[in-house]
Amino acid sequence: MRYVVAVKQVPDSGLVEVNGDGSLRRAGVPAVLNPYCEYALGRILDSRLPGDEVTVVTMGPPQASAVLRRCMELGADSAYLVSDPALAGSDTWATARALTAFVQRHIPDADLLVFGRQTVDGDTGQVPYEVAQLLGVQQFAYVTDLESSGDGFTAVQDYGDMRRRCTVPRGSVVAFSGVDPRGRFASVSGRLAAAGRGIVTVDRVALGLGLYSVGTKGSPTVIEATRRVESTRRNRKVVIRDPATAAGLILGEAGAR
Amino acid sequence: MSGCSGGSCSSCSSGDQDNPDRLPPGMLARYDINQSTADGVLVWVEVERDGDSVRMPDVCAEVLSAARSMCDGRVFAVVFGGPEVKALYPEMFSYGTDTVYHVRDARLGTYQPEAYADCMAGIVERVVPAVVLMGATTRGREVAPRLAAILQTGLTADCTSLSMDGRDLLMTRPAFGGNLMADIRCTRFPQMATVRPGAFDKVPTDRTTGTALYWQYQGEVPKEVLSEEPVTEGGSDIRDARILISLGNGIRDRSTVELAESVATRMGAMVSCSRSIVEKGWMPVSRQVGMSGRIVRPDLYIAMGISGSVQHRAGMSGARRIVAVNTDPDAPIHGFADLSLITDAAAVLAAMSRMLDGKEENE
Repeated sequence: MRYVVAVKQVPDSGLVEVNGDGSLRRAGVPAVLNPYCEYALGRILDSRLPGDEVTVVTMGPPQASAVLRRCMELGADSAYLVSDPALAGSDTWATARALTAFVQRHIPDADLLVFGRQTVDGDTGQVPYEVAQLLGVQQFAYVTDLESSGDGFTAVQDYGDMRRRCTVPRGSVVAFSGVDPRGRFASVSGRLAAAGRGIVTVDRVALGLGLYSVGTKGSPTVIEATRRVESTRRNRKVVIRDPATAAGLILGEAGAR
Repeated sequence: MSGCSGGSCSSCSSGDQDNPDRLPPGMLARYDINQSTADGVLVWVEVERDGDSVRMPDVCAEVLSAARSMCDGRVFAVVFGGPEVKALYPEMFSYGTDTVYHVRDARLGTYQPEAYADCMAGIVERVVPAVVLMGATTRGREVAPRLAAILQTGLTADCTSLSMDGRDLLMTRPAFGGNLMADIRCTRFPQMATVRPGAFDKVPTDRTTGTALYWQYQGEVPKEVLSEEPVTEGGSDIRDARILISLGNGIRDRSTVELAESVATRMGAMVSCSRSIVEKGWMPVSRQVGMSGRIVRPDLYIAMGISGSVQHRAGMSGARRIVAVNTDPDAPIHGFADLSLITDAAAVLAAMSRMLDGKEENE
């Protein structure tokens, strides 16, 4: 089986910087592998059989190769970086278009396209299903379990109020739902193996994408403005030594809703 | 002013003859080939099933109410299901629907994201709405991107505020874990958004009638669903709790977790926690609030011994009210709580327990 896992680099924790056009400033902010992507990659690596091939791909600036390096340390076999100045500022639609072009150009025989549920910086969770539509394949969201069966797979999906099992044909898009709060650790052998492997960089022209199909020019959504969230909380600070008084205040809040 | 949106039409000018910019009748000031004439709002109405009875989720009523309030065009609803769904018509009309497209297809009785999106694309082609909205539910957030990709338009996820300027929709959504708010426009039609549950009020009217049409879906239904079972964990999901007592690193003793559980049960609340409690192994991941845990929006969030990291805040900033109990007056949580109590969380929980026992009257 050939797996393609799409991952994203996200700015580390609370270091939010905003560009003039409202996009996030990523240069200079330490980037980490999005935990949802890491979890999805981990699930595939845990279930891989001998002979399976796991390829990771990300779209981002040149420094995004760091997260690909980490993916290979965790156990991925090969890595592609889709990188081009013209891709900057892509919204989910333009991102999906570029990723679709990549898959069709480089790994058209992928048996499964794997995503995390969402990223922690964008929170949209839209790209997997836009890619699925562009490729014309089925999509499986909120997957909690995936196993091989017959020619394809069987997935268990958790919609919150409903859990269901579906047949997953080869070539489908699968998005895992979870995240591992502890993260994964790369083994020493994984690190040594990754050190010898290179990252293939692919640019816009190599994927046959026009200037107006990607990046800010190819994005139908436009961020007009971003602003920091100003607290609208009453923010009443009370120094209380007596726990009973505090408990009374809390129960008062609970009763007054 | 006249009712023309965009102001590009001068043939119906309302008497400002002296305006030097006035063009001869029939001539457009600006000919924009991409100017859409799309109008109205189309909403996907999900159906919750409980045995034979059907129910419209609150978020759909909220989205319909929002659509009615901001748009002077028609509001269209799309609903999938058999004849039992007709029982929902009056409710849909009451919340502002003008026209219901009822897709009656036995194959679509179970949720089919690919076919639902494909079918709705056909209806969008028929209606040509300016805006397509759905609730940011698990299913809405799966179907909307698929539909947006078919329609080759933009999609904004999880909006908390919407407003219309003529046919243009301004969408506002939280970004980067709720630390930023972004105002987003879409340059293509229809403009699509998913709407965060609870972001709008549901406002019923006394209207009970409207137009209903059956829609025949001709396309394929590819997905093979092997089995479906409702998840009957009841109120055990922290996302459903109206009150959360949330424990953090300031809780030093494992017995406090049981104490919090007992207090929560008597208050009709649930217990959640921050990442450090999960790392200690005191509570399961399913109770964790935050960027790597669950995102909760209770009416009241009681943060007990939680410092309030950015990651934690991302999971609970949507709470209606926040009470923070932390001995450290400089803890970040105090910066965004409604009520900050600088005291020991475990002692407060013990006191709450005693009060709920009725030994001390809560004045």
